[in-house]
Amino acid sequence: MPVWVDPEKCNGCHGASQPPCLRMCPGDLIVKDHTANKAYLKYPEDCWDCLPCVKVCPEEAIEFHLSYQFGGKGAKLIPHIHKSHDQISWELIDTQGNSETFTIRTKLMPVALDEKVEGGTQTLDFSI
Amino acid sequence: MERKIIETDILIIGGGTAGCMAAVEAKERYPQLNVTILEKAHIDRSGCLAGGMNAINAYLNKGETPESFVRYVRSDSCGLIREDLVKTMSELFEYCVKKVEKWGLPILCDDQGNYLPRGRWNIKINGESLKPILAKSARSAGAQVYNWINVTNLLMEGDRVAGAVGFSLRNGTFYVVKAKATIIATGGAAGLYRPNNPGDASHKTWYCPYNTGAGYAMGIRAGAEMTSFEMRYVALRTKDTIAPTGTIALGVKAPQVNAKGEQFMKTRYAHLGGDGAPTPYRTYGPLMEIKEGRGPVYLDTRGLTAEQVRELKAAYLDMYPSMVLYWAANNIDPSKEPIEVQTTEPYIVGGHCQAGYWVDGDRRTTVKGLYAAGDVAGGAPYKFVSGCWAEGVIAARAAGADIANMPPITVSEEQIAAEEARAFEAIKRPGKVRYPILPTDMEARLQKLLEQYAGGASTYYEMNEEMLQIARQRLAKFPADFNHLVANDLHQLMKVHEIMDRVDVAQTLVEHLLHRRETRWPSYQTRTDYPERDDVNWLKFVNSRRDPKTGNIQVLTRPYEQVIPGDRYKP
Ligand SMILES: Cc1cc2nc3c(=O)[nH]c(=O)nc-3n(C[C@H](O)[C@H](O)[C@H](O)COP(=O)(O)OP(=O)(O)OC[C@H]3O[C@@H](n4cnc5c(N)ncnc54)[C@H](O)[C@@H]3O)c2cc1C
Ligand code: SF4
Ligand code: SF4
Repeated sequence: MPVWVDPEKCNGCHGASQPPCLRMCPGDLIVKDHTANKAYLKYPEDCWDCLPCVKVCPEEAIEFHLSYQFGGKGAKLIPHIHKSHDQISWELIDTQGNSETFTIRTKLMPVALDEKVEGGTQTLDFSI
Repeated sequence: MERKIIETDILIIGGGTAGCMAAVEAKERYPQLNVTILEKAHIDRSGCLAGGMNAINAYLNKGETPESFVRYVRSDSCGLIREDLVKTMSELFEYCVKKVEKWGLPILCDDQGNYLPRGRWNIKINGESLKPILAKSARSAGAQVYNWINVTNLLMEGDRVAGAVGFSLRNGTFYVVKAKATIIATGGAAGLYRPNNPGDASHKTWYCPYNTGAGYAMGIRAGAEMTSFEMRYVALRTKDTIAPTGTIALGVKAPQVNAKGEQFMKTRYAHLGGDGAPTPYRTYGPLMEIKEGRGPVYLDTRGLTAEQVRELKAAYLDMYPSMVLYWAANNIDPSKEPIEVQTTEPYIVGGHCQAGYWVDGDRRTTVKGLYAAGDVAGGAPYKFVSGCWAEGVIAARAAGADIANMPPITVSEEQIAAEEARAFEAIKRPGKVRYPILPTDMEARLQKLLEQYAGGASTYYEMNEEMLQIARQRLAKFPADFNHLVANDLHQLMKVHEIMDRVDVAQTLVEHLLHRRETRWPSYQTRTDYPERDDVNWLKFVNSRRDPKTGNIQVLTRPYEQVIPGDRYKP
């Protein structure tokens, strides 16, 4: 499981139909369970590990998990986007618990909580 | 199915690197024209740039000129490129880079304000948000953007392209976009060959796994001429994570070493430039070390200072964060142990190699009304982000000029209905076919076939006439199975189109591999039955065209033209 939405932290972006995590995935792999008001990675085997979903979540609810075949658990990488200046800070925690922070220049690109979809959303049903 | 009909002047298929830049240029130059982007994901984070970038890999640093660039790219591509295309794109690097800097991209500078080089043709950037920057500029320029539209085919008006069709991944609406000019910018193709990693990491590829060759396939079906598919791209990447190695090799100048610690590029490939040998040899060299029992192969980072290691990690965080987590999870300290590298699945990508549409100097394809830019366009390797931008600019300028005073497009209802049926067939099939085939099933079969018979990693990318004939024969059976493909939802419907596109690309690829009877780019294109380079017979382009009526692929050659004088094998 490459990225994982922590259901405790995800607030569904307050009823958003297309929350940031879902919109920013280049593979369109994240969906939202509207009943539970939570997002989740629906197609884990198709994930590229590219991390836009992790970076844009306002609740920092998405954890980056390294595939088990690559060494798996034990270390952590957490991006924090600064809200007011052009910076991103990455917190890296190794298997011994030592942490290191990298603060890197970027261009702040605010992401809206929701976005309207042309024609609305609906799933197709051909069963009839 | 709901239909949405859009009439536009310029349609851009794929809102990535080249697509966004083309949109901005078109709106700035021709504000009166309507510009429409159709994108399968969301343009804020789609395609190759989704994770970010840490360098612009094609730039004329101080003292360099378009001529010196062409000379370098020519020798790096073993003496055969479209020099006219490489030259015209390099003339626009400065224009594009300055533009994107103005939009807010942080570029690293020295005390005097000069861009910081990373190697001869590269400059360092903090490009974590490069994609949202481009997307915002495309929107602000006035382009109409439709996200989550998977484009399935081109529309034709007689023998000219008249737009494209696709479906919405959100609601299944069928989009019909009639356009006077269509710029295709869908990137290259990953997922043709068996990927490096199995299971939950199978999409942990270097090239963007969501670029599946749709743009090539649409052109192939429409009878566009394609070039150089046989020049596949086999990259040298870090073990497991498949991260780019330029960050290490150029960033901290780490040489390649084998298991015995020998700097084999310096010894065995000294005559080709050692660690600076042409890119195919920097894949071929380590491959031979492994084949001949001297692997694994590493980039020797031992002895880096703590400061350098931090810089390296920061550079990866801007582009490929998983590399940094991988080192932490596996307790790897690059200053104490070298970084293991491996070679990747072969990709078709016109921005690193030169597989793609055969275009003229203005990036017009051979089909009227259709232009190509970026990784989907052929003949011009060494594009990287800046060359893709440059091609977007060139294509947009030409498209806008060509359509002045053109009457509106008309497309027959018959054609639209046929395309609509083709787009949705698979989602109507579950329960209606006795032997349903999932897109992933066909993907597995295709990848295994190419892997074993068309020069995959397991045969050290080598191939011969007999293997390729088997690949050709077995591939020919795939299209008959298309009418068994099933999709249970719109996401799977996208995957159905991806695999059909990849089959079309694979058939053209195999014809190209069969045709070039020499070995020009070892590892990208290694023919064991024709192991030498043969300038007498093969200093020319292998091109192909699939007849839209018969489906037959005709292979032809086009002459090479030297524009910049000098030894073609010297940078
Ligand atoms: C991991 C990685 C790191 C790289 N690092 C660097 C670097 O540091 N410096 C550098 O200069 N170059 C780098 N490159 C190369 C560079 O990023 C690419 O060559 C370039 O971005 C390609 O641009 P493009 O416009 O052709 O494709 P993309 O930018 O990928 O755009 C293609 C677009 O088409 C869309 N699309 C595809 N199919 C369809 C369809 N059927 N319907 C609708 N839309 C579709 C995609 O979603 C995407 O948005 C890197 C590439 C990769 C993969
Ligand atoms: S962006 Fe974060 S909080 Fe919002 S829906 Fe996605 S995971 Fe939940
Ligand atoms: S890491 Fe990338 S591919 Fe994976 S879910 Fe997040 S955005 Fe999508």
